[in-house]
Amino acid sequence: MNLSLRDVRHDFSRFLLTAVGLGLLLTVVLAMTGIYNGIIKDATALPDSLGADLWIVQRDTRGPFAELSRVSNDLEERARAVPGVARARSYVAHTIQRQLPNGRPLRFTAVGLSWPDDLGRSLPIVRGRPLAQPHYECLVDSSLGLSLGQRIPLGRDVYTVVGITDGLLASGGDPSAFFTLSDAQRIQNDVSNEAIRLDREARSARVRQSALGRDPELVRFSGKNARLIPALAPLPVSAVMLNLEPGVSLETVQARLQGWQDITVYSQEEEHGLILGGVVEKTRRQIGLFRGLLVVISAILMGLIIYTMTVDKIHSIALLKLLGAPMSVILGMILEEALLLGGIAYVLAVMIGNFAFDIFPRRVVVENEHRLALLFIVTAISIASSAIGMKKALAADPNEVLAA
Amino acid sequence: MSDPILAVQARSLSKHYGEGNTYVLALKEATFEIASGEVVALLGPSGSGKSTLLTILGLINPPDTGWLQVGGVDVIRDGAAVGDTNLIRRRNLGFVFQRSNLIPFLTAEENVRLVLELDDVPRREALRRTREILESLDVADRASHLPMQLSGGQQQRVAIARALVHQPSLLLADEPTASLDKELGRRVMELLKTAAIERGAAVLVVTHDHRALDLVDRIFEIEDGVLDAQSASVPEVTQ
Repeated sequence: MNLSLRDVRHDFSRFLLTAVGLGLLLTVVLAMTGIYNGIIKDATALPDSLGADLWIVQRDTRGPFAELSRVSNDLEERARAVPGVARARSYVAHTIQRQLPNGRPLRFTAVGLSWPDDLGRSLPIVRGRPLAQPHYECLVDSSLGLSLGQRIPLGRDVYTVVGITDGLLASGGDPSAFFTLSDAQRIQNDVSNEAIRLDREARSARVRQSALGRDPELVRFSGKNARLIPALAPLPVSAVMLNLEPGVSLETVQARLQGWQDITVYSQEEEHGLILGGVVEKTRRQIGLFRGLLVVISAILMGLIIYTMTVDKIHSIALLKLLGAPMSVILGMILEEALLLGGIAYVLAVMIGNFAFDIFPRRVVVENEHRLALLFIVTAISIASSAIGMKKALAADPNEVLAA
Repeated sequence: MSDPILAVQARSLSKHYGEGNTYVLALKEATFEIASGEVVALLGPSGSGKSTLLTILGLINPPDTGWLQVGGVDVIRDGAAVGDTNLIRRRNLGFVFQRSNLIPFLTAEENVRLVLELDDVPRREALRRTREILESLDVADRASHLPMQLSGGQQQRVAIARALVHQPSLLLADEPTASLDKELGRRVMELLKTAAIERGAAVLVVTHDHRALDLVDRIFEIEDGVLDAQSASVPEVTQ
């Protein structure tokens, strides 16, 4: 005769309600794990999908993901000339927050790809196609909620969505959108006509106030479009991505490039380390702490629940002792109830998670290994909390039955 | 006439509580015998030592000194328990209380069957014996009900069934009629007596209820820890 099942059956609604409450708490524990994994996946998804072997960034910075980085536009050409380098692409990224004509806010990280070398073929495009023309096309992540063919006005231009990617978020959780490098820079540096006019005026004034102002031709030029002035440098890029020829030692090329005094070079693995150690580290610690607290709270709650359940039937336990029930029967009943409670709560947590995590605003990544880890934690909590009930049961005195 | 079968033999059972100024000798050299099928009433005022004797016979509290045999097996020797007291309680003792003390989350049938299953009686056999005793006590039709769904009398009959289903050598009843009206109390005492005779158990009833004393075979009186079993003689019981 299984006493634990009969005890549960006796007040099943209370038991179920308790299990649901505990299940919801475990759902939050699972969600915390999933959110943490999601943050890591989001943070590394973009660099991983770009598939570079080495990243060249501004000297002594930890860019382009963990920190702002600016390198000169011609670095791509310089790097391409290094022996062993098969491919060099410029990379720019910046966060944009605009509003669609229908009033819907649009926030994303605009990533610039080197045209025509990088059309976005390495990205996980689930619908549509890669970029096919140097301007006015873009690839957007599905989480942005835009559709194929949709036209988005950004600055002075309108861009057409030609491809939809999946799961490409920046470390801040914003969806990524991919443009050609020049389009991305154009969007980034889009300013109003008045701002341009004022900038040109200021530039002319600076020229006039210096010795250069003696040349009227130079003064005239200084008030024109910046791109037409050869003395002004083109816009910088965030980084340059390198792919090496097959069989070439990554360390060798990296060491050679490290000799250049204006840049720092990171391998893909080092970029991962910078992202996880910098951008994600505090979040990781915070979520880890929160998760730990929730586990402790779950353990305490479960311990209290099992203790209360034991106290509720302490008279029956004393009676069982009086009837000569072996202690294994009594302790087994308490352990089974704790495991049953934990088991039902766990199953509920996993089921709720399967339904609910998809509608979370940020990616929640829960793999089987995480579910197994939670199962292990729940089992440990169940056993530990049943120990509290067992201690109470061991102290139950058969005399209480006679005295009652 | 054959010799009676002795279900209980006690020699010089003593028990004290406290030390120094709080020292109380609760039971003094209690010596008695109870035969199988015999119903004995234990009478005495509050604090006389009734509960102490009951807990010693129930193997809940050991005596300081003395020897006790239940069902022909030594269970206390020189004041110390001999063997597995849980096992002895499971096999040789039955309990009936003032309140029925049924386990609230088990049905009447499960409350009775539990005692057999704790002793590893096969389920089929346990079910058969349970149904049989519930029928003999006229509560078979309430077998699937929880204790809270039974009347006080039905609960007490289920409790008696639980106390006797494993055919113990000694049934200890602590004020079994105290919470019942006169008629029901007498009916319970009759059930105990019938069950004791039919199943060969010795019954020791602690009671203040003098209304049903005509149903008992002997009366033990206890006062200040001294058990008076002198006047009684072990009745002749045929094997």
